[in-house]
Amino acid sequence: MTKSSRRLLGLLIFGALAGCWLYAASRLWATSVPDDLKLPHVDVGALVGASELHRAQHFSFVLDLFGLAGLLLPLIVLALYAKWGHRFIGESAAGPIGTGMLLAMLGIAILWMAMLPSNVAQLWWLRRYGIVRTGYAEMVIGTWFALGAEFLGICLIILIVMGFARLLGDRWWLAGAPVFVAIGLLVTFVQPYMSGLKPLNDHPALVQAEQRLAKREGVKAVPLKVEDVGGLTTAPNAEAMGLGPSRRIGLWSTILDGRFSQGELEVVVAHELAHHKHNDLWKGLGWYALFVFPIAYLIARVTRRRGGMAVPLAVPLFLFAWVGLATATLPIDNAFSRRLEAEADWTALQATNNPQAAKALFVSFVRTTNENPNPPFWDPILFGSHPTEAQRIGMVEAWQARNGG
Amino acid sequence: MNEHPITLHVMDDLRRSRLTVFFRPLLSVPHIIWLYLWGAVAGIAVIINWFVALFIGRPAKSLQSFIAAYLRYVITVGAYLLYVANPFPGFTGEPGSYPVELELPTEPQKQSRWKTFFRIVLVYPALLVAAISIYPVVFLFFPLIGFAWWATMITGRTPRGFRDLGANALRYMGQIYGYYYLITDTYPCSSPYVGMALGSPVVVEAPVAVEAPVAAEEPPAPEAPAEK
Repeated sequence: MTKSSRRLLGLLIFGALAGCWLYAASRLWATSVPDDLKLPHVDVGALVGASELHRAQHFSFVLDLFGLAGLLLPLIVLALYAKWGHRFIGESAAGPIGTGMLLAMLGIAILWMAMLPSNVAQLWWLRRYGIVRTGYAEMVIGTWFALGAEFLGICLIILIVMGFARLLGDRWWLAGAPVFVAIGLLVTFVQPYMSGLKPLNDHPALVQAEQRLAKREGVKAVPLKVEDVGGLTTAPNAEAMGLGPSRRIGLWSTILDGRFSQGELEVVVAHELAHHKHNDLWKGLGWYALFVFPIAYLIARVTRRRGGMAVPLAVPLFLFAWVGLATATLPIDNAFSRRLEAEADWTALQATNNPQAAKALFVSFVRTTNENPNPPFWDPILFGSHPTEAQRIGMVEAWQARNGG
Repeated sequence: MNEHPITLHVMDDLRRSRLTVFFRPLLSVPHIIWLYLWGAVAGIAVIINWFVALFIGRPAKSLQSFIAAYLRYVITVGAYLLYVANPFPGFTGEPGSYPVELELPTEPQKQSRWKTFFRIVLVYPALLVAAISIYPVVFLFFPLIGFAWWATMITGRTPRGFRDLGANALRYMGQIYGYYYLITDTYPCSSPYVGMALGSPVVVEAPVAVEAPVAAEEPPAPEAPAEK
């Protein structure tokens, strides 16, 4: 085979793979929200009150600054670590993979130290607005101990990457990426068993409503559970978790503390049930799989300049490339997440047929979380995993307009 | 008299990296997980070796090598956690891979069947001594609450007394578990002078050279000064 025909074959294979990738992405991107749905302008100030709106805007502006620091600082710190981190090789008496693990753990440890002032300041801000109840010492010591779990995770990643790199050279990503997808699958499956969920005994009416909603949505009822977060935060939340037999709906104890009516809670449950109905956790895994292959390939390319992932010298650059690429894909990941959340809102409206409760819920979210309902355009791009509260209220009004409400 | 078939060699100097000392318990987490996994298999190997030793009067060599590697590894992780040594240890328990190393008999020794049969009971007095004298010492090395941790963090060096204390704790534990794991039938000695070699490396038999290297480099001299 000549050089030009090999090149042509390579281009054809790349084109076929790119076509498959785009087809899969478009299938995952599609939702049941009508394409022609136009969201009306919503005057949130009239709904929540001008002072509440001002408070939410002020709170969110400063929180966004912390968010930006949280995006930029790791890039700066890890860029510096990529340049000088190899100096820590002398701290290891282990073999190449063990030394790689040490370098990766030290990179994360240094990042933790660099982020600590910003994280303490962010905690101060959240405490000031009564969103978080965690103490400062509790946070610092708690995150220090939590580093143990992070270290274990990064060591597993390094073991996989360097192990395959020592076997397959620069093609480690072909074997490594499927393993990462399998780990993602396992973590999603076991998450409900690791979250300290308890049975929801105090709200029999909500359990009954969930069974009714499941029947209406044409989905098997999912166990409703409660997660006690009262000592940590006042923010309300709920989440769909698990796959197949491990599927659960986890309600934070803060959403059941009497601030939300039965109708509002039913909207929340219908929203989470919709995630299970639309297999959103599977879709999330599919989306992750779509990105993990090209990201692993790019990391393999980038780390070649340090000798490839078979040698510990490349580990600091690996960390930087990994975090850099994850940050670069953040806007598209957030956009994907917002589409799934919008679809869950739409399905919840169809199932509950109670737009008043949905609107009241989203207005309450502004009051209880202090999130800006109308953030600047870049905010959802960088941080928005859900539609803004103004968009969610707008969807309720659009649904009402379509259904004669 | 400082002879014991199980000897701890300490070759590291007293200099410590503050960064790794600050995070040392966390940096040891992958080692602790690996210790548990390896320890579960090593425990089964010890039980099999017990039957072998009862039957033929000495442990099986392959099992003994496996258990010895595990015990060497336990001691290197302990040395890292107690600031007896500075570098991050490897995961294999390979001889000659760490500046703090437990020297163990390479060949299985003939052992009394009576001592082997009652080993699990015979080890208890030594474990009791360890529980009284060693386990409380470990608290000195705990982050935030331990004096040794503070001293090392502030000075960037482990005070010699604490280093020797930690090394003796490891030496005694190595002898106890070496006895318990049937590597030797010599009873562990609580004296700090028996089975401790500060500043001297383990003598490893060099493989026979088949071909002389073209340009052999001078091996780097050990950093640690000889200590007495």
